[in-house]
Amino acid sequence: MALRVFGLNLVKTNRNLLQNACKPTAMPAGQAVAAASYATEVTVHATPAAIQKQKVSKAMKAYLTRATEHDEFMKTQHLEFQIGKRHLANMMGADAETFTQEDINEAISYLFPSGLYDPKARPAMKTPEEVFPARKAAEFDETGRPFHSMFYTGKPNFFQLLHEVVEETNKLYELEERMLRRGIKPDENQKLEIAGFQVLPKDQLERLLVESIADIEFTNFSNTMDRLIASPYSYKSKAFIERYLKPLMDQSKQLEIPKPKIDEQGRQYITTYECLRKTARADVTVRMPGTGKITINGQDISYFEDENSREQLLFPLNYSELLGKVDVEANVEGGGPSGQSGAIRWGIAMCLRSFVDQEMIESMRLVGLLTRDYRRRERKKFGQEGARRKYTWKKR
Amino acid sequence: MLRKTLNNLPRFSQLCGLSRRLQSTQAEPAPAVTTTVSTEAEPEDIAVIEQRILKHPDYFQVHNLFTVRDLFNARVHYGHKEGSLDERMRPYLYGSRLGHLIFDLDKTAVHLRDALNFVAHIAFRDGIILFFNRNALNAHLVEQKAMEAGEFSHTRFWRGGIFTNANVQFDAVTRLPDLCIFLNTQNNVMSQHTAVRDSAKMAIPTVGIVDTNCNPNLITYPVPGNDDSPAAVELYCNLFKEAILRGKRKRRDLLGLPPLDESQPRRSRNTKTNSN
Repeated sequence: MALRVFGLNLVKTNRNLLQNACKPTAMPAGQAVAAASYATEVTVHATPAAIQKQKVSKAMKAYLTRATEHDEFMKTQHLEFQIGKRHLANMMGADAETFTQEDINEAISYLFPSGLYDPKARPAMKTPEEVFPARKAAEFDETGRPFHSMFYTGKPNFFQLLHEVVEETNKLYELEERMLRRGIKPDENQKLEIAGFQVLPKDQLERLLVESIADIEFTNFSNTMDRLIASPYSYKSKAFIERYLKPLMDQSKQLEIPKPKIDEQGRQYITTYECLRKTARADVTVRMPGTGKITINGQDISYFEDENSREQLLFPLNYSELLGKVDVEANVEGGGPSGQSGAIRWGIAMCLRSFVDQEMIESMRLVGLLTRDYRRRERKKFGQEGARRKYTWKKR
Repeated sequence: MLRKTLNNLPRFSQLCGLSRRLQSTQAEPAPAVTTTVSTEAEPEDIAVIEQRILKHPDYFQVHNLFTVRDLFNARVHYGHKEGSLDERMRPYLYGSRLGHLIFDLDKTAVHLRDALNFVAHIAFRDGIILFFNRNALNAHLVEQKAMEAGEFSHTRFWRGGIFTNANVQFDAVTRLPDLCIFLNTQNNVMSQHTAVRDSAKMAIPTVGIVDTNCNPNLITYPVPGNDDSPAAVELYCNLFKEAILRGKRKRRDLLGLPPLDESQPRRSRNTKTNSN
């Protein structure tokens, strides 16, 4: 019965609203009206004292026209895409129904071969959803009233976040005060461990909030977070803080040094794959203890004819004072002697990290042995003899 | 349209015909609210009711929200030092003590009741109300109270053109607020908040707490009072929030809608992009 009365209420309240707002309830509403004639529990409150004409604000109207225009546009684009796909399929002699995006890409690159360097500049055919950017959904209701309390700041999500951080901080301050009065000190064991973490960087925060943030605003955010973290009771809001912290994994991973393995002769060995320099590529295995034997593609150090390349190989061994104490095996391909020797040098240095102490590793890093050399051949320029050299020029 | 009709709203003090001293205490019984709306009759259009209640001096009973004693306890009477006085604020002063200016709280109470009445009427008419405050000390409080009232807040740096160039700033036609409430009207001690000027430009009515160093000229409903102390700002926020909620409750009551859920402040909906 109560439900029916409520239904009646609803009908009388929003005669206009009802048509578009609550279609599913429209059908049982008819029953409710019929039931009203014999209903005894209908209270005075069931009839509202006023009704409201439904008004749609200018903002919503503008949004709706924009949205319908966009929909129409996307519909035609979709149709054109389907026709284009059909044509392509016919040209390629395939079935249009089972023609996938991969087939389209293949067909386009076959029919319109392009020598342009940038893939974005080459001809392509994609679904309209991929080509045209998504539009923003309405941020307000029919009367034009925005959903978000901080809508007018222009960056509601960001300022909402700041608000929440301050709320957490205030909570902790209050807690601290209460505890001080009771003479209780914060638990040292539970202290928040944030070494190895940092506050979310700006670009990641922007992606999280779907808003662009100015530099000064980001500074404000990190300062506010620091204040929250600095509180002695910050472990109480650990879950909140951790949402906006990022572990510093990348660096520690790089610092991780592989443990040497043991081969069948009982010697320690370590292999570094993918040692790259210029166009050369090498795999290097270093064995300890050894006699200083060097094997490159089955040959000894005479694989390299020039002295410079041989010196390159020996440099990391010499520097770490392990020359004559380890054996080196390398397989190398691609590039010339300089690139190949450089690749092997880097591989040896990376392997040797496992056989020396931390101090030596740091010193090797500073010397530049552990740094990948990204230099490549510089292209020749027109109007010049080479990359940098100019043609001979005489005034007269 | 909303603003035009509200121009007819008589000032509370004019209608009551009471001396200001009498209005400033709670002891005075309020005139009974005449509920002419009979429940059996065909429901009226809310627009008609909106017009009719304008004739009532204090339809939402805002006069009983506070007393002069409350204002005094919240330290509303403290002004700035004598040297910083804006001449236009002189009529609202009681005097000065030890070099500090003191507001006449009787005058403040009259202005505050006018403002509260106006705020309640705007809320009753489903207007958008935007709270301003540039004092970092009170910013969080103001945002919180605005959320609790289901209204809007802007306590940050004011990017120029939010009102005057809204359609470009928000990438769409945007409904501007129907009322701006300034908890302080200054950016800092030197300059006035740009939004005061911008709301005047866009004909948006304003309610503003004006301290002794502020210019009340562009504010529609200036309320002379201390705009710095957290206690005072909290009092103002609570009063405005209660007035807004009274207006909203009355509207929902008349329309027969379920009452507002006031136990929890409205959470923000996440505004993310999606294709439409």
